[in-house]
Amino acid sequence: MKFTDDSQNLRGRLRLIQALVMVLLGVLSVRLYLLQIVNGERYAEIAENQRIRLLPIPAPRGVIFDRNGKLLVDSKPIYSIILSREDTKGIDRYALIKPLAEGLMLDPEILRERFDQLKSQPAFESILIKEDASPVDIAWVDAHQLEFPALRVEQTPERRYPPNGLLAHVLGYVQEISPEQLDEPRYKEKHYKPGDIIGQNGIEAVYDEYLRGREGYRKVIVDSRGHIQKEIEVVPPQPGQDLVTTIDLDLQQAAEEQLQKSTTKRGAIVAMDPNNGELLAMASYPTFDPNLFSQRITTKGGRAEYAALLNDPQKPLINRAIQSRYPPGSTWKVPMAVAGLQQGAISIDKSNLVCGGGIQIGNKFTRCMGHHGTPDLRTAITKSCDGYFYRLGLKMTIKGIMDMVEEFDLNKKTGIDLPHETLNLTPSPELKAQVNPRDSEWRDIDTVYSSFGQVYDIITPISSLREVAGIAVGGKLYIPHLLKELKPIGQQGNPAYRPLRSFQSLDPQRPNPKIVPIPEDQHKVVVDGMWGVVNNGGTGAGIKMAGFDIAGKTGTAQVVGLGKDVGKNKDHSWFVSYAPAYKPEISIIALIENAGFGNQHAAPAVRAIYDVYYAKTRPQPEAPKNNIALRIR
Amino acid sequence: MVAIIQKRKIRDFDWFVALLAIGIVCFGAWEIHNAQPTETFWQKQLIGLGIALVAMLTIAFSDYRRLVEIAPLLYLLGLVCLVAVLVPGIGMKINGHRAWIRLPGAGQFQPSEFVKIPVVLMLAKYFGKHRSGPLTRKELLIGCVILGVPMALILLEHDMGQLLTYIPLLAVVLFLSSVRMWMVAAVLVACIAGAPLAYAVSVRAGLLRGYKLERINVILDPENADKRGFGYHTWQSMVTVGEGGLLGSRDPEYTQSSLKFLPEPHSDFIFAVTAETTGFVGCLLLLASYALLLTRLITDARRSRDRTGMLVIMTIVGGLIFQIFLNVGMAVGMLPVIGVPLPLMSAGLSSMLATFIAIGFAISVQLRRFVN
Repeated sequence: MKFTDDSQNLRGRLRLIQALVMVLLGVLSVRLYLLQIVNGERYAEIAENQRIRLLPIPAPRGVIFDRNGKLLVDSKPIYSIILSREDTKGIDRYALIKPLAEGLMLDPEILRERFDQLKSQPAFESILIKEDASPVDIAWVDAHQLEFPALRVEQTPERRYPPNGLLAHVLGYVQEISPEQLDEPRYKEKHYKPGDIIGQNGIEAVYDEYLRGREGYRKVIVDSRGHIQKEIEVVPPQPGQDLVTTIDLDLQQAAEEQLQKSTTKRGAIVAMDPNNGELLAMASYPTFDPNLFSQRITTKGGRAEYAALLNDPQKPLINRAIQSRYPPGSTWKVPMAVAGLQQGAISIDKSNLVCGGGIQIGNKFTRCMGHHGTPDLRTAITKSCDGYFYRLGLKMTIKGIMDMVEEFDLNKKTGIDLPHETLNLTPSPELKAQVNPRDSEWRDIDTVYSSFGQVYDIITPISSLREVAGIAVGGKLYIPHLLKELKPIGQQGNPAYRPLRSFQSLDPQRPNPKIVPIPEDQHKVVVDGMWGVVNNGGTGAGIKMAGFDIAGKTGTAQVVGLGKDVGKNKDHSWFVSYAPAYKPEISIIALIENAGFGNQHAAPAVRAIYDVYYAKTRPQPEAPKNNIALRIR
Repeated sequence: MVAIIQKRKIRDFDWFVALLAIGIVCFGAWEIHNAQPTETFWQKQLIGLGIALVAMLTIAFSDYRRLVEIAPLLYLLGLVCLVAVLVPGIGMKINGHRAWIRLPGAGQFQPSEFVKIPVVLMLAKYFGKHRSGPLTRKELLIGCVILGVPMALILLEHDMGQLLTYIPLLAVVLFLSSVRMWMVAAVLVACIAGAPLAYAVSVRAGLLRGYKLERINVILDPENADKRGFGYHTWQSMVTVGEGGLLGSRDPEYTQSSLKFLPEPHSDFIFAVTAETTGFVGCLLLLASYALLLTRLITDARRSRDRTGMLVIMTIVGGLIFQIFLNVGMAVGMLPVIGVPLPLMSAGLSSMLATFIAIGFAISVQLRRFVN
């Protein structure tokens, strides 16, 4: 130091500054050590995560066929207009709603909803603006590329369902996953994301995981604005498995035709192979167009159409075969007859009970439709004698009827591979206490009602069909189902291999078939009675078929009062059947809502389907000319 | 005669400081290239280095005492520039700060960087006289005025970063002008204790809110801060630094800066880029270089012939270390985001030129330590 200054310890102060410099640099070094050495790995991971993105490649959805390989549902490519989200970062997306809605003729409300939905989602998803874009829309996007650089046109598959609502309730439909569904655990666990198209009803929903396949992806490096810099890896999508249903398209069409021709155009027809539970036809009317959900639901017209369906008093979205319950009427007599014999309330030799034109319980007389004397069981079934079954019910007691319900699974869902199956209401003192708390005691009159399919018996057509089909084959109740097989995908041994899959009960605990022990002789009596309904001057004699013995039972389910024609509240018309009577191949049930007597409406509809079945399975003998030609050779 | 002077000048010239500074700039230019490989910032930086060296040599070989003599004139010139910046036709806005003056043909320059030099000279001139006692109130007041006028003008530019870098200039001068140690201790204690208190009070009173509050909160708790909003810069800078690890990032092709996750990688966040490309080792080497440079300057100051020279060098040291700490502290997420360049590293001619002029003064002082 060349200058002297005693008033301050300058040397010391300079050292202090030097020390301060070192301390500050030291503090920074420690901080660097913590960031780079101690937590370096973690930050490297964070950095990697924000630069690497997986862009999904959708998998083609499996095609659905009928049992004979006829095409039911497939997908065709369509063009969608997409708004890339990252390109709109920082600008007000909502300001785009108006010009886009006008330019592409969209409902601004739907756009707003989609933009709202995106707020809760991670960046990078693109927004679907318009699906099934027309060439005009695509031209509009091209023309406005400078104005809206974030708009893109993408090719996506669109699900196509048969026209005229054919098989709509069975097939169901696909639709974009809803925000509510995204929050549900079953979708969350499988990492569904907004914009995913999923099966929302029918077998599309039940077998969604097989039909949808597995999404592929492109692994890319993106910059902070989401622009792709480099593609690291491409994993191709795995297509969904093709699904073969048990449905026979010819029978299905016949069934729908019958419903459409019916007086009220409301009802259900189901056909099943009683030997394995395969459903050959399942029709419910009125029906709807599933293409509405897969194609038009995001348009203004589509939404109006959907609202109209929801508000339609005819409830076309309901699958009447599995979701609606009706009193079974006289079709209830079939299990009653089997159970009466099984439980020993009657015997084959002594099965005669008085008809009496009805029964007097206390001050109430419940009448029969005719005067049948003292018929045996066969005749009681054939002629549908109510008086007989009133007395059989009283002999069995409510306990016996409840046992019967249990035996034929009538208090359970059938386990069909469709969503939203409804549970039956079946007679029990508890049910009475519930519906009639003011007079909750179970009385004989209640047993009488329970014994002929009214008041306390309210069941779905599918459960009734399963029970009659089970009786037809001697006591084997199969689970009705629609899946014949899901075709395998890929090579065996490959991790992506998906094996062939046939129907398996959704509840593995459930026996399939459920065995109901029906002694052969008792079985024969009941079958004789049901054969007689059609073939021996019974209530269904009008549909007798030459060379094809239909066994069945008519039913007329009271809506207001039995047999009372009160306009739109007419009785429901039932016919439950199978054929041939002594070697069952097919079992059919028909229900026509508010049409009247079973033999006048439901039975002819069933007959029409047997005709189609017969024509299909009993080929006409070849022309004699051919035979001769063959012989000559 | 001329030859003798030249010879002695070359012998006494502080080659170490000059070469170290040039080395850091070259390293910086490489990092600027890493940060923005497609831009021309790094080339401009090297051209700037040439200009800065000419300026440094010019200052180094002139007599700093003459320049101190004319300090009031330079100071006035500086103030004129600062006022000119505020005139819309002359001043330019970059990144929201009206802090640049456009020079036709030569781009733009930032007066607030250069005005530090006349301020340093003014302070050295006023406080460089022989001292006989502790600091008087009058001296303190005049020191504050010298500093306060340009600071007030910079405040009008809303350039908080530059504003902050002026404070250590006066602090160092006062510290070396016999300000009583108890006062120094009191100010330090007040700062350390007062910062959290001020934070709490101003948050409560609603004075600190919006993005300013967020920028502080992200320092206190980066994991839970709004990483996409106002915490973005700090968080991304921390990630970038951390990603560097011991020896640098694993994937040099796709970096935080090349993918534009790191904002302003060539200027304010050049340290994060350095950390990403060279890792902990490179960062320590850079900090060690700064330590060597500053230590050497302090040694020069100690050897200087007079108080004025000593003060010139020490205020430069104070300014540099403060700026380094602010910038690196911001890059490693210890301090809120303030726009302060890293001396000798950040792209920007104004900052580099000003730093080299300051170093030129230091060399000039040290060249003349034997001259009477």
